[in-house]
Amino acid sequence: MADFQTSTHRSRWIFSPQELLEKREAANQRAAKSLEQFGVTRLEVHLDGSVSYVEPILDQKDNAERSLPKPLNCEEEQHMRIFYEQKIQEVCLAFKFPHKIQATAIMYFKRFYLQWSVMEHHPKHIMLTCIYASCKVEENHVSAEELGKGIQQDHQIILNNEMVVYQSLGFDLIVYAPYRSVEGFNEDMQEFCHARDEEQEKFKNFLQTANAEVDRIMLTDAPLLYPPGQLSLASLHRANEVHGVLDFERYLNILLSRQHSAYSTSQLFESLKSIDTLVGKLNIPTAKDMRHIDRKLKSCWDPSSQDENKKREKRSKHKSKRTASEMQGARA
Amino acid sequence: MHCAESGDRLRRATTVAATAAATTTKMMIPASDSGGASAGEEDPSLAKRVADRYLKREVLGEGTYGIVFKAIDTKTGQTVAIKKIRLGKYKEGVNFTALREIKLLKELKDPNIIELIDAFPHKGNLHLVFEFMESDLEAVIRDRNIVLSPADVKSYLQMTLKGLAYCHKKWVVHRDMKPNNLLIASDGQLKLADFGLARIFGSPDRKFTHQVFARWYRAPELLYGAKQYGAGVDVWAAGCIFAELLLRRPFLQGSSDIDQLGKIFAAFGTPKPSQWPDMVFLPDYVEYQYVPAPPLRTLFPMASDDALDLLSKMFTYDPKARITVQQALEHRYFSSVPAPTKPSLLPRPPPKGESQNHKPSDFISQDGPLVLSPQRKLRRVTLHQDGLEGNVYQLDKAGEHVKEVRNMDGTTGQSGSMPMSIDLGAVFGSRPPPRPTLNSVDRSHLKRKLDLDPEFDYH
Repeated sequence: MADFQTSTHRSRWIFSPQELLEKREAANQRAAKSLEQFGVTRLEVHLDGSVSYVEPILDQKDNAERSLPKPLNCEEEQHMRIFYEQKIQEVCLAFKFPHKIQATAIMYFKRFYLQWSVMEHHPKHIMLTCIYASCKVEENHVSAEELGKGIQQDHQIILNNEMVVYQSLGFDLIVYAPYRSVEGFNEDMQEFCHARDEEQEKFKNFLQTANAEVDRIMLTDAPLLYPPGQLSLASLHRANEVHGVLDFERYLNILLSRQHSAYSTSQLFESLKSIDTLVGKLNIPTAKDMRHIDRKLKSCWDPSSQDENKKREKRSKHKSKRTASEMQGARA
Repeated sequence: MHCAESGDRLRRATTVAATAAATTTKMMIPASDSGGASAGEEDPSLAKRVADRYLKREVLGEGTYGIVFKAIDTKTGQTVAIKKIRLGKYKEGVNFTALREIKLLKELKDPNIIELIDAFPHKGNLHLVFEFMESDLEAVIRDRNIVLSPADVKSYLQMTLKGLAYCHKKWVVHRDMKPNNLLIASDGQLKLADFGLARIFGSPDRKFTHQVFARWYRAPELLYGAKQYGAGVDVWAAGCIFAELLLRRPFLQGSSDIDQLGKIFAAFGTPKPSQWPDMVFLPDYVEYQYVPAPPLRTLFPMASDDALDLLSKMFTYDPKARITVQQALEHRYFSSVPAPTKPSLLPRPPPKGESQNHKPSDFISQDGPLVLSPQRKLRRVTLHQDGLEGNVYQLDKAGEHVKEVRNMDGTTGQSGSMPMSIDLGAVFGSRPPPRPTLNSVDRSHLKRKLDLDPEFDYH
């Protein structure tokens, strides 16, 4: 599919920062509310994509003593999402999936969590399901079983969540990833520079860096804010800072005039800069950062483990002074 | 915060019950609370409205994937056809073909492409809501009461090519072009349907299965096992449809793949390597005995020169040299007299009250003799079995009584009393091979085996 202009991606899945904030707040609030009401945030997912609340867990004997688990705040949710988005990249890499699969899976994951809080649907489950769905849609089918086996997860989780994922995506399944256009731009840039044969290596490295930059951009909000073409230009721009292969501004000028674009170079640069800022601010949580959030999630998700968690949580506060290396592998 | 008494527990529990009442049973996805903007104008998720939004009418057919029924969209007043696909039955989750159709039709919006109005799961089924289509091109071609003027043929072909051009512009190959996948709306517009085999093409070196299209519409490169092919396969099939419009019968009716190539070569002459250099490298290439091409005029005695010229360009052997859909639309055939008939004025069979929407698609495959229900029998049996017509008709009528009032909007009412327009004995008596198509089992199998697994293109 090669027409972004008329795509559902463009018409329905590019937002303003404000919209993202509102959606996420709404989901977070809803989960926090159900925690308060039912003592649990987890939702039961049915095969047909419908969901229901699990049995309220509120009436243990010592209701008085026991305070409710604390919900995750929006920032913690974000950490959680980024952590699992990065996991998607890891898993896809391990399976040697094409870039496209990985990018589609991440986009599904991002879109899904515009509707839901990580407290309602466990990101691990959704991550797996998004990878599975992405393989299916991108016509690189991998069986759920195979996928589950590859990462030692129960593949039934994937099948259980498949419909709720499609439904949350509004069945808009075609996603435009920046990788393809990075390649296209790279070729165009070589032409623009009248690259000689001996410069091939340089452009190859340039492309590699740009692809790595896209990987990072994919972990930010940028894919929900900017069209894929701009994401790829932003990544090339960043790569160019490293490799200095061309006069980027001059290239953009020519690019825009060639396409009779309504955009001005300065506008485009503005977008690229904003994407740059988002990448600059990207903070990929470490396993250590995750520990605390993960435990919090667990107690919202499955309050029966709460007491135990609370104890551990307290301990972990003291432990936080320990060295990072000791913490590695804490999250198995 | 919370009071510390055990009495409170009770109170809490009731509160929970009360607040949860609306949600406990089955809370649908709250996409609506999530602000709407994401989901845009129509909120895709609230499945509740299958009951709320669509008024169910009669069943139109049944197939391996579930049933198809007619419904009224209360939101728009529009008549729709809903394909119901059972969920949770498959080891591999949501049906692959359905998913393909959804993902592509979500992006393809054109007057000559069937509109997917909605998709949602409800009560263990995935529902696909399509605009309701009155008839299909196969019914037009077969209806001996219909006279197709050259202008009518031109119009039908033009609409076919327009829909196809739109797909190709978006890099989608349909891969199942045939008259009964070309549906006809009540305003006469022809629309491409059944995108269950369609694929996005254009990625370099991507390999596809050659097991696509019903055999009679399969391009020679596919019959020779080509794995890398493009939009040309649709053009060939469109050529077959063009020929079928002119002849009023399927043009190249091979009984096997080998025979199909034989039929093609008999019509256009055995291709020489000079004509089609890549041919000899195709996986299943076999040399055929040389036969010269008879003049095309002898095969289509009534066709105009322009029609013949376009036809021969659509039937060019070398897919690289074959005319593109866009070029075909610009061919002088379409600008010369007679002008194509306005869609609304085109002759078409009386509405059947039975949408063709669903039936041709893979959700209801053509497993001829396997009869699941009277409705279905009507659909399928008419294709193959002469003589049975009367019985089927009766069966259908009988089924009708059981069903609720069906002539709500007049268009459907006739189906019960409509005389079958096809004299099957006459049309098919002399025709041995039944229309071959890929049945759904083959399809999914082939797709898995040939399309998907082997070509894990690792970057």
